[in-house]
Amino acid sequence: MHRLIPFALAVFASPAAAAIEGERVQITGEVIDTWCYFSGVMGGPDAVVGSAHRTCALWCSAGGIPVGLLAPDGQVYMVLKMAGDDRTAGGDTSLNIAAHTIEADGMLYRRDGMNYLVVEKITADQDIINATHEDFGVIPGFAIPDSEALK
Amino acid sequence: MIRPTLKRSIICFAALAMPATAQDFSEGSEAREWGLYAEQKALFTATVTDPLCVLTGDCADNCGAGNRQVVLVREADDVMIFPLKNAQSAFNGAVADLAPFCGQTVDVDGLLIDDPEIGAMSVYMVQRIRPEGGDWQRANTWTDDWAAKNPDASGDGPWFRRDPRVRQQIEEEGYLGLGKEVDKAFIADWF
Repeated sequence: MHRLIPFALAVFASPAAAAIEGERVQITGEVIDTWCYFSGVMGGPDAVVGSAHRTCALWCSAGGIPVGLLAPDGQVYMVLKMAGDDRTAGGDTSLNIAAHTIEADGMLYRRDGMNYLVVEKITADQDIINATHEDFGVIPGFAIPDSEALK
Repeated sequence: MIRPTLKRSIICFAALAMPATAQDFSEGSEAREWGLYAEQKALFTATVTDPLCVLTGDCADNCGAGNRQVVLVREADDVMIFPLKNAQSAFNGAVADLAPFCGQTVDVDGLLIDDPEIGAMSVYMVQRIRPEGGDWQRANTWTDDWAAKNPDASGDGPWFRRDPRVRQQIEEEGYLGLGKEVDKAFIADWF
């Protein structure tokens, strides 16, 4: 019995052994900026998604803020890889689909109340289908500079 | 009858399996309030690490060297905290500030957001970092990091108006992402 203890300690100390069991999932959702969504800094959750918030979503994605996938049931999945790309701190793959609704195939991990998603493949990209600008204008209001009105 | 050592192990594993609880980590915090949903000042000790490594066993050198997201595994309760934001006010994440401390134990001070209703559990805005044996430093390096990577984008105005990738996206799809014609009609109505 005692001979098993060092082995058990070694297993629990190594990074790979710390991994938890994932679940293969297919999730459809919008690629969101998790800071604005969770913090309320720009307003309510309904206002910081879709076309109204698309420019801000670009800024936050380029700024290295984690992106999430917001499913229709309100669940948010924090994305740790997007289409196999682990450069989620400001990388191009997530930036190019900011505010798009995608269908994702990947592995889901849960820890401490949060959902973590490793998107292995984007099986469909529906582009931006959430036309929130019709209800909210643009969020934040300065997303479109005043100079655009003069053109 | 359960032997004491086994009982301790069961309690230990049960504690690890428990979801994050609403503990108070505000003591000693000097975090600036932002008026965010469910914000709580929080100062705690944690290890900076790579969430892909922790969750999946896919480990990169130096936590991905600034390309991957990083997390904080809190020493007090082993809860994995996801930093979404640094201390700057211009759409900046926390990786540039935290990744240099990959694998190290640090003290962090900032704002936790705990709003289970919208799925926000254990997410964080880090405002300052203190490495072991070091001094507090502001978590505000993102814009300097961006400037070093984008020497051709210097000029007036905030970085997000000058960023070449953002500008290209807006040029191609407009501010709303629905094309230039939709933008044109919207701007005519909005301004």
